Amino acid sequence: MATLSAAPDEAESESKLDQKSKPLTACLAGVPNAGKTALMNALTGGSFHTANYPGVTVTISRGRTRPEFGPEIALIDLPGVHSARAASPEEELSCQVLEDRHPSIHPDAIISVIDATQIERHLKFASFTARRGKPVVLALTMIDLLARSGQSINASKLSEALGVSVVCVDGRTGWGAEEVISILRREVEKPASPDSALARISDDPVAAYREIREIIERSGAIKKSRPLVVAADSVTERIDRIVLNRYLGFPIFFAVLVALFASIFWAAQPGMDFVEWGFAQTGALALRLLPEGALSRFIAEGLIGGVGSVAVFFPQIIILFFLMTLLEDSGYLARGAALVDRPLSHLGLHGRSFVPMLSGFACAIPAVLAARTIPQRRERLLTIWIIPLMSCSARLPVYALLLAALLPGKAGRAGLVLAGIYISSLLVGALTAGLIGRFILRRESSSMLAMEMPLYRKPLIKPTLRITWSRSAAYLKKAGMPIILISAFLWLLSNFGPGARQPVSEDGSQPGLVAASDLDHSFAAGIGQTIEPALKPMGVDWRVGVGLISAFAAREVFVSTMAIVFHVADTEENQQAGLLENIRSATFAGTSQRVFTTSSILGLIVFFFFSLQCLSTVAVVRSETGSWKMAGLQLLFYTGLGYLLSIAVVQSLRLFGVE
Amino acid sequence: MSLVEALKNRRYRIERLEGPEEECRRLLDLGLTPGEETSVVQAVPFGDPLVVVVRGMRIALRRREAAWIKIH
Repeated sequence: MATLSAAPDEAESESKLDQKSKPLTACLAGVPNAGKTALMNALTGGSFHTANYPGVTVTISRGRTRPEFGPEIALIDLPGVHSARAASPEEELSCQVLEDRHPSIHPDAIISVIDATQIERHLKFASFTARRGKPVVLALTMIDLLARSGQSINASKLSEALGVSVVCVDGRTGWGAEEVISILRREVEKPASPDSALARISDDPVAAYREIREIIERSGAIKKSRPLVVAADSVTERIDRIVLNRYLGFPIFFAVLVALFASIFWAAQPGMDFVEWGFAQTGALALRLLPEGALSRFIAEGLIGGVGSVAVFFPQIIILFFLMTLLEDSGYLARGAALVDRPLSHLGLHGRSFVPMLSGFACAIPAVLAARTIPQRRERLLTIWIIPLMSCSARLPVYALLLAALLPGKAGRAGLVLAGIYISSLLVGALTAGLIGRFILRRESSSMLAMEMPLYRKPLIKPTLRITWSRSAAYLKKAGMPIILISAFLWLLSNFGPGARQPVSEDGSQPGLVAASDLDHSFAAGIGQTIEPALKPMGVDWRVGVGLISAFAAREVFVSTMAIVFHVADTEENQQAGLLENIRSATFAGTSQRVFTTSSILGLIVFFFFSLQCLSTVAVVRSETGSWKMAGLQLLFYTGLGYLLSIAVVQSLRLFGVE
Repeated sequence: MSLVEALKNRRYRIERLEGPEEECRRLLDLGLTPGEETSVVQAVPFGDPLVVVVRGMRIALRRREAAWIKIH
């Protein structure tokens, strides 16, 4: 990684002289699901994504300690590592940093995060961090869960026996965070003692576990009222007996998914009404306040109308993120992964594919990254291959609009159909993986599951809301710009036309501006009509085609495009007529034949179900797989498939007399 | 016998691990070491994977993996 651009500056700052003035750098390391990221959030005040599932952090994230904790310390959150011999890419990354093999990250100290309920396994990894010869602080998490398995822990006795500092923390509430920092400072000041009892623990797993048990028993740091093998925790035991039950397991699994997806529709309605009303008012206000002309119409229809048409769906997206965060924090995800491991491994996937697939329902980009936790390359590639099929939140506004047009006034039924679409995308994804696994990517060797089932935890409201907010804000940031830019651009395209075709306006003040009813003479029409032959079989006109093309920037843009191209703004009354009424009454130019019929709406849903209209996904697949081949193939395959299947659906429905 | 044949909720002691080296090393790292007590607490629908408790942790193991773990 000796890149030229970085060389001179980095070399300078790495020199001994500057070392003193540079802020201290500490990294958080530990076994997956130890609570590293929750502690990171408590230390930095940030909102990095956490969940009660092993392997949520797959990349390195950086932060700085809160100002109230004194002079700044740079913090690095590392992905969890099962053992010092890295198995998957994200584990290798952590090992590089810890063993000082990483090209740019060289921590001065290590905060070794330890789940107190699994202390033996976590101490084994902590001994690996202690052997690096750097100052180490042990942060004990999950103390509150210890009581449930009839145990208690004495941190000072443990610290004495291990020869390193031990602090009890709860990252979710921030309890103990300040103490971690002050002890870290003390450790860095004093000369490092590489010879602690913790560092002396053997590298061999059998010997290491024996030595750890001896140390703990000798110290008397842990009191337990019943043997560890009998009951890990009675609450978890009882819940698992139900959710993993032979008969109830799968019904509960599907019920959880249906409830998750259907409630998006049901719970969001009041919020959506409010946002819709707000944007309609703002648009009308803009028209009233601004002098009449192209500019006021541009702002009211192009910007406020375009953005508003998508913003209506933000309540649904926030609810989706909130419910997914709750589900992740509960500990149920690992059960879901265990439940589907057998069916998925028949298809060439892995139980661990489940969580990337599920997070694909929020967004494909983090989902593709989450596939890093799948140890075997073949299973990882297959998972990445099907992630674009998962119904991501960008499709939600599109489906919501189309379903509302298909089933007017029936939110309940629309919610169920939406849940059906979501679950079908899981099933179709599984089927695709099965076909590709059988015929194209052949099995190399069998993989391993061996996955820990975290204890159930009651999600806390505040952290859940914070994470929901940060995910929603990230969504807004990602989708917002394309929506604004394309709305503006499309408004111009559909309201201006080639000069020659325009009637000269009387006062000459709006050269080239066409009346909205003259959309057929606009630039957009010119472009749209050239592609119209390709759209006819889908049962839609060029206006929808413009929407389909602009959706490649972001799928939601389809909705704002519909708002602009189907906008009829002769009077202020029409201005306030909803997008829904506009598209429902839209007809093919010069005829009374409707554009949005049962068959064409279903065709569009099928198109969006399959096609990969997301260039960011193509980019992240390229970077994760290291080649354009798979990313390009995915783009062509899914988009082509979506187009062909959409035609097939429309034409066969018409054959059966469904218009 | 192996962990696959274990009766539910009965306590056993791990005798040795017998399987592919790399995979067995992973199980040892997880804490499934000879001499340790373990118990099968749950079989997921389809009977696979099994949920095993060791050192106070719950671990889902495929039957194939559980078969490498010899117990008495």
